[in-house]
Amino acid sequence: MIVTEVNRLFGLKYPIIQGGMAWISDGKLAAAVSNAGGLGVISAINEGPEALRREIETCRSLLRDGRLPFAVNIMLMSPLAAAAADIVVEMKVPVVITGAGLPTPYMKKWLAASIQVVPVAPSTGVAKMAARLGACAVVAEGGESGGHVGDLTTMVLTPQVADAVSIPVIAAGGIADGRGVAAALLLGAAGVQCGTCFLPAKECGVHANYKRKILEAKDIDTIVTGKRLGHPVRSLKNAFSRQFADMEYDAAVSDRQIEAFGSGALRRAALDGDVQNGSVMAGQCAAMLHEEKTAEQIIADMFREAQDALSAADRFLSKEEPHA
Amino acid sequence: MIFETVAKILGEYKDVDPATITRDATFASLGLDSLDTVEIVMSLEDAFGIEIDMEQSLQNVEDLVKLIEAKKA
Repeated sequence: MIVTEVNRLFGLKYPIIQGGMAWISDGKLAAAVSNAGGLGVISAINEGPEALRREIETCRSLLRDGRLPFAVNIMLMSPLAAAAADIVVEMKVPVVITGAGLPTPYMKKWLAASIQVVPVAPSTGVAKMAARLGACAVVAEGGESGGHVGDLTTMVLTPQVADAVSIPVIAAGGIADGRGVAAALLLGAAGVQCGTCFLPAKECGVHANYKRKILEAKDIDTIVTGKRLGHPVRSLKNAFSRQFADMEYDAAVSDRQIEAFGSGALRRAALDGDVQNGSVMAGQCAAMLHEEKTAEQIIADMFREAQDALSAADRFLSKEEPHA
Repeated sequence: MIFETVAKILGEYKDVDPATITRDATFASLGLDSLDTVEIVMSLEDAFGIEIDMEQSLQNVEDLVKLIEAKKA
């Protein structure tokens, strides 16, 4: 068994958190991940306050044990963030994951409600600030991940965040199998957050076309767009993302035109299944996923592989003299 | 005095002459993103011996100066 501070912190069988994916991470997927022994996460920015309340209720109704933890992910740049910040208190959500900034305005309220807060940090500075605000752990998210991304890679960011803060660090970005989990632990993380690898989960309600695109993806199939607008996003290459990139490099196109072009694109792909003209957000590790499995199989396979990888790692510690 | 120190720290961070940094310069115009802002806030905390909560959104140099003045008052 792999047991870390993250198991103890949230009461988990496996130290894995499901990534919050807008329009995709709903109550059903969150419950499946939590039932499988990880921390299931509902995205707060799908439709609006009523939809979030409904998804939290759905998650609770599907949990096999009412004491199992789950979380809500609040993307702080979203206009829905402030309403979501109140709903998690009102509905006694045990854990909140935040993304895109620091949750400073909400921290007092959440800590007073005994909510465990886990900000996603794309730099050591953000991680340090988060720890000071009272976060119980921090997600070090590298740019291999899907959706909104930072510049630093998981390989470089994780050990630096682990050195910068004394709270547990959860590595994210590019982790889709047991080798990734083992590597994350060796880099100083006490757990992992994975989004992309749950896209093909049987319990994931994303459109079948979206799942198919993920399962067909090759290593070089993702692209980062939106740097010009200040919030880069990684998605699969398709007609939409290629045109987005073209517009971005065209000085004659205004920022407003680009924003308008991108608006609603994720919803179009995730809900309507338009994987040509919508944004199929995914991390680089999409290429490492080959079949639809249950959330339970995904997590159990990943941690069995991680345990094997870690058990076999002492083969590198040779008693032989090094070759000259 | 506070503005001069802020300008000096910004100048060092961006490797530009502090004299070119004006009070109304936005972070965007200085080429600073949100992660840079966090780094700068931490440098300013060390310089002034204060803790700055990034509660309100900081847009320009003057916002930072006012925030520090309020903390020091």
